[in-house]
Amino acid sequence: MIEVRDLTKNYGDRTAIDRLNFSVSKGEVVGFLGPNGAGKSTTMKIITGYMAPTSGIVKVAGFDVFESPIEVKRRIGYLPETPPVYMDMFVQDYLKYVARLRGVASGNLNSMVDAALEKTNLQDVRKRLIHNLSKGYRQRVGLAQALVADPEILILDEPTVGLDPKQVAEMRKLIHSLKGQHTIVLSTHILPEVQASCERIIIINRGRIVAEDSLAGLSKRMSGGQKLVVRVRRPSSRLEKGLGDVAGVHQLRAEGNVLQIDVDGAEDTTEAVANLIVAEGAGLLEMKSTSMDLEDIFIQLTSELGSAQPTGGAL
Amino acid sequence: MMRGAWTVAWKDFRVLVASPMFLMVAGLCACIWSYNFLPQIFQFERYAARAFQSGGGLNIHQTLFASHLARVNIILIFAIPALTMRLLAEEKKLRTYDLLLTVPITAAEISLGKFLAAFGAGLALISISFLYPLITLAFADFSLGPLMTSYLGMALIMGIYVAVGLFASSVTESVVLAVVMALILNLALWFLGQAAEMTDQPEMVKVLEHISVPQQFVNFMKGTLKVSSLLFFASAAAFFVFLTERVVESSRWR
Repeated sequence: MIEVRDLTKNYGDRTAIDRLNFSVSKGEVVGFLGPNGAGKSTTMKIITGYMAPTSGIVKVAGFDVFESPIEVKRRIGYLPETPPVYMDMFVQDYLKYVARLRGVASGNLNSMVDAALEKTNLQDVRKRLIHNLSKGYRQRVGLAQALVADPEILILDEPTVGLDPKQVAEMRKLIHSLKGQHTIVLSTHILPEVQASCERIIIINRGRIVAEDSLAGLSKRMSGGQKLVVRVRRPSSRLEKGLGDVAGVHQLRAEGNVLQIDVDGAEDTTEAVANLIVAEGAGLLEMKSTSMDLEDIFIQLTSELGSAQPTGGAL
Repeated sequence: MMRGAWTVAWKDFRVLVASPMFLMVAGLCACIWSYNFLPQIFQFERYAARAFQSGGGLNIHQTLFASHLARVNIILIFAIPALTMRLLAEEKKLRTYDLLLTVPITAAEISLGKFLAAFGAGLALISISFLYPLITLAFADFSLGPLMTSYLGMALIMGIYVAVGLFASSVTESVVLAVVMALILNLALWFLGQAAEMTDQPEMVKVLEHISVPQQFVNFMKGTLKVSSLLFFASAAAFFVFLTERVVESSRWR
């Protein structure tokens, strides 16, 4: 459905994305995961035909984005980071306007708008001014706008950013309910987000794909990866070196008297680490085990693979 | 192809004429025109009576309506940028531009639609100004022909101002900058013909007189429709709409 080959985009001297390669097949739900500024939005904007790449090819349903943008835009519903809503319009009128712009035939207009309102649970506010809606509702209007012409592909750029936890949960449920009806590409910098919604995950950092994996694969990586946060009274380089040699310890970072230790998650390892700290007489103050968060996965992935080697295939 | 343009035009037109800003502009225009038109009628009456006594007459088109249209024009130079300033600049600022650029309509449809929306609002302003000569008809007898051609000319000139304002709005995110730019361009357009006085070359003088908006407008006021004048006004507006289309399209490859 979507094919991206050697996609590169430069803003002046700065490279936003660097030779991206991936493809999304029909009906898939793919999550773009990456920190802010990683190039997620840029990639999505290029796929939607909003902007052109510096080099590389994007094909949507067989149409080249740059050569036949109209055909591509016909097939894509796009929700940008800021929902593109007109504050001075009523929800219903706004959706009708977008439906017309997206080429919905006049006869189907009302039914399509009704369907979009229903999918996004907006029937109650259909006659409200968008200006008077909360951020969560505006975001939903943004999603309704992307849905209104029933496109084959939905591209959602950070659909839950800036929402409160309840709204986030609702938005996730909503996206979940759209599975199977559309091919969905969504971006986020929050890990549970992709876990909740996506089947496949593309992790992108500094404009490069650092990992591409199924949800199961990534979960495996994550459950295997645990982190020990240790606070000691007397940190020393000897202690650090000793900890680094313990079997099961992947990596170690020291910030003042706090040590962050990436471990394999086995209880033996945790015990060995504790024993060593006590044996060294470093004065153990605190020790807790946490599962790795996105930041840690990034650090791990980028250091494992090196920044010069973007990988295409599954890990 | 045209459907996208109409969709944009109809929506923007409705939003534009329903905005408080439009009502304020229209109200102020009406105030200024009324303030000026009434004394002008009395003055015309005095002059006409004097001319009649000495055995002559006074052309109402060349005196009363000409000065009315001059004021309509002056006001439009300032009022039209106020109508056009938000057309694209605000879409960019509020990120609704993202929507326009990702729906299946072309840059030409966007530009044309925006132009038509503001042109429609401009026509509403011109219609208000048309009320004054129309009311004069109640107590003065004159031929409508020259008035109609004058107003056709006025509408075409308004089209140029709209196109200029649209272009100014397309190159910036700031509505203030869009207004200022449109104003300067409009005034420049009006005074362009004056450059004819600065050169002695007959060819240059001819060219400059041809591209002078006031010079071309004189034809319309006389009640004559010249194809060259019609084409000049239409192509000037089309040129700025075309420039706008280029700017909108350029966001795809920048």
